[in-house]
Amino acid sequence: MQASATQQAFVLNQALTTCRATPSIQHPVWASVNERQYKSMPTHGIGRWRYLLPKDPPKKKRDRQQMKEIVVETETTYATLNVNVSGYDMTVVEHFSQHIHNLCNRLGIKVLDCYALQTKTTEVWVMQEQGTKMSVDSFLKTHNRVVQLRSLNATMCPIFLEVLLKNQPEGVQLSVQEHTEVDYKTRFKGRPELEGLKAKISH
Amino acid sequence: MAAPCRRMAGRSLLQFLSSFSRTSVSNSGFRQFSGTSVCRGSRQAQYVEEIASSPWTLMAAVCLQRLPVISAECNPIEQQFRDMMIQMELEKSMLSDHELRLLDDAERIRRIQAGEYDSDEEEDRRDQEIVLAQDLEDSWEQKLKNFQPAARVSDSEGDPGSLQRRLSDSLLLLVERPVGREKLWMLPQTEWQRGETLRETAERALSSLPAASGFKATFLGNTPCGVYKYKLPRAARTESSVGTKVFFFKAVLSDAGASPTTESPESSLLWVTKSELQRYVKPAYLMKVERFLLGF
Repeated sequence: MQASATQQAFVLNQALTTCRATPSIQHPVWASVNERQYKSMPTHGIGRWRYLLPKDPPKKKRDRQQMKEIVVETETTYATLNVNVSGYDMTVVEHFSQHIHNLCNRLGIKVLDCYALQTKTTEVWVMQEQGTKMSVDSFLKTHNRVVQLRSLNATMCPIFLEVLLKNQPEGVQLSVQEHTEVDYKTRFKGRPELEGLKAKISH
Repeated sequence: MAAPCRRMAGRSLLQFLSSFSRTSVSNSGFRQFSGTSVCRGSRQAQYVEEIASSPWTLMAAVCLQRLPVISAECNPIEQQFRDMMIQMELEKSMLSDHELRLLDDAERIRRIQAGEYDSDEEEDRRDQEIVLAQDLEDSWEQKLKNFQPAARVSDSEGDPGSLQRRLSDSLLLLVERPVGREKLWMLPQTEWQRGETLRETAERALSSLPAASGFKATFLGNTPCGVYKYKLPRAARTESSVGTKVFFFKAVLSDAGASPTTESPESSLLWVTKSELQRYVKPAYLMKVERFLLGF
């Protein structure tokens, strides 16, 4: 107790001496720009914390899209699984995929990736009753959302699937498949000009 | 505040699951449930000696569920909230193409009637004069009126043997089996035979039911979801059979097949909801089965 008291007195004395050392400046508001007095205060920099964080490596300009490693199937866990949610109504499909993602977070299932596949548009042509003419009835857009799961535990699987099936909304199709490289490649657009040039070079 | 609570809930559930799997596997010789036959072949030699010494008869049962066909009814509060949200979204939303077309057509008709219409100004609208947006809307309304949706509540509501009852709930399959001197209601089960996985035993249990020949079920996983231990009464216990252990596997009904018209009265199948289960099933059995059934 005594030691701390003396320490406090010492610190206080020091603070007082630093304050008294510059008697010319009584009101820091009117201090000149060159004399930044507050830097010499003992509490200067008391809130700094960013220098304590580990240094991140500098980000490269454009990272090539690399495929994430497909997790291998083991005795008790499944390989990388794709839970595909598809339907015509975008809000319902998106909300259901968000629900699946939140469910995985809560149940401790690791989610690798969560992406959307290309929207496919179907034109519905209706045959007219009195004749052979077909007319356009409607455009149906099929939306696709994929939640990619990392190693799903075998004991967790039936429970998880049952919760998904019971919460499935109307008009939404659910499918769970293993992730393959072909699935990854279908997400990219083809580049016909590049392929044409490559063919020209090779000939 | 929310984050730590969520973490805790997740952790406790995982612990429960992992401990559950340990207890179910520990007594039966550390069997591993695998879908591929390759793994099975390698472990068979290890199991033979261990299983021969176990005094428990092992059985696998299938928990077959028919999922709800239609969505559940809303509570009064839910209905009120739903109506309010629909109204709010309607008021906040922007006009769609069809509605814009309606407005333009109405405007054009008004201008024609007022005599200010100059047909040369709007060249690109010639083809749309033939079919007005209002006519389209009327034809759509007509089609909607012609559509008759099926009834939510079917006739066979109270008949426990029918598959069409309680369309908004999930139903569980029960069969009656003679156990000892009495007949008890239980989930369909058969005894495990050497050389097959427990999931195959459960599949066999389902396909061996005479009335359920047309049923197509999708099993949700290779691991059991529950276990029920039954010790034989003291008089019937011997060295080699102390009791039975029943492992439950979850499955979902995908196709009921043709409904059997010539059903024999002995083949009694029941489709019950979780709340009706207690009327048919013994309390000790019910306690174990209820744990893995989701819903009401």
